[in-house]
Amino acid sequence: MTRLLYLGMLTACVLVFSGCTTSVTVEGTIPTPLVAKIPAKVGIYYSEDFKKFRHEETIRQNGNWEIDMGDQNLLFFRNLMKALFDEANEVGEPSGNMTGVDGLDGILVPEIVKYGFLTPNVSGLKFYSASIHYRLTLYDTNGQKLGEWGVVGYGKSETTLFGKNESLSEATMLAIRDGGARIAIETKSLPVIKSWLEEI
Amino acid sequence: MNKQTKTASILLSILVLAGCASTRVEERRQASTGMGDHEAIVLLGRASYSDRETETSFTECVASALAKGDRPLRLVTQKEFKDQLYPWFEPRTAPTSSKDLGKLFAQPGVQQRILDTHVRYLAWISGDTITTDSGGSFSCTISSFGGGCFGVSYWEEDASYEASIWDVENMTTSGQISADANGTSYLAGVILPIPIIARPGNAACKALANQLREFLQGDPIAADIAADEV
Repeated sequence: MTRLLYLGMLTACVLVFSGCTTSVTVEGTIPTPLVAKIPAKVGIYYSEDFKKFRHEETIRQNGNWEIDMGDQNLLFFRNLMKALFDEANEVGEPSGNMTGVDGLDGILVPEIVKYGFLTPNVSGLKFYSASIHYRLTLYDTNGQKLGEWGVVGYGKSETTLFGKNESLSEATMLAIRDGGARIAIETKSLPVIKSWLEEI
Repeated sequence: MNKQTKTASILLSILVLAGCASTRVEERRQASTGMGDHEAIVLLGRASYSDRETETSFTECVASALAKGDRPLRLVTQKEFKDQLYPWFEPRTAPTSSKDLGKLFAQPGVQQRILDTHVRYLAWISGDTITTDSGGSFSCTISSFGGGCFGVSYWEEDASYEASIWDVENMTTSGQISADANGTSYLAGVILPIPIIARPGNAACKALANQLREFLQGDPIAADIAADEV
């Protein structure tokens, strides 16, 4: 009887506390960009923060939120970089004494600077919306910084009656796609990339 | 049928009629159209970063209606098309007029990828459904002695959508079809809640799908006569 009581209390506690937190795991398809490749061999450094990005936020009207980008952001960028450059290999963190960068023309480091989202309660609109501020930094193979630029991806998704998780997941995935689209189309025309390509 | 039953029937009919949506469809053709058996159409919801955009459910409704019936159209899903052509049909990058198709096709691989999907027509769907008016008072109560709902509330919705059809082969705009529907829904409480729901979005979807099918395939009887004459 006591065991049953404990079990009941534990279940009640789990239900009560989990009811206040909305966990969202971002899911979606990973398209391969259809763009002309940039004629360069780059190393890409994905930090652990980038690989396992999570966002936690408490909204007064909507409780606690945990957004886990899971592998989605990483897989998306792996696909994006392979489509964007002649060759894109994963390397370690750029530093003065780098190894494994022979034959590469530079190192590119994508980071997530900021993630934000709005619920319909907060925005007053019919949508969940999400934005991701990416920063991309280009280094030479000696670890010297050549330049950096920012890209903001934005996505929004309709509200469904019982699907706030799915709506925010979709809005976040659309933000990743939007950021990726800008990177795929605009990178080759950036001054820092143009001058880097002239030198390699 | 006694008097009470007659009165109830009339009242119910009036209420059901009041829940109907009225629809108006307009077509503007700019070029002749036709679809081969192997050719497909893709319906794309026009997304923007404003506070209004075409609901995915509406685009799916039109796609579902076009894929059914006696003369189903071959459809490529929006998701599949956007993935195949990524990043060129994202909200920020999608062409805004058929004149932009030339520039888009100049991008490496884009024209071939569209040819591979056999998409002949793009139909851009824009518009949305909004509540234009609402009022009344309706409430439900429950207690240990029982419960019930009392009052009447209503809301009027206006669904306004347009499809702009682009011919991918000729890189031109073939025409536009617009569908507008409006209707008033009621929720009456006579102990039990009685909803009388008008669905203008659904009415606009069906009207737009029927007209779009006619627009692309033409009148089947006229087509048969023409074929016989040839």
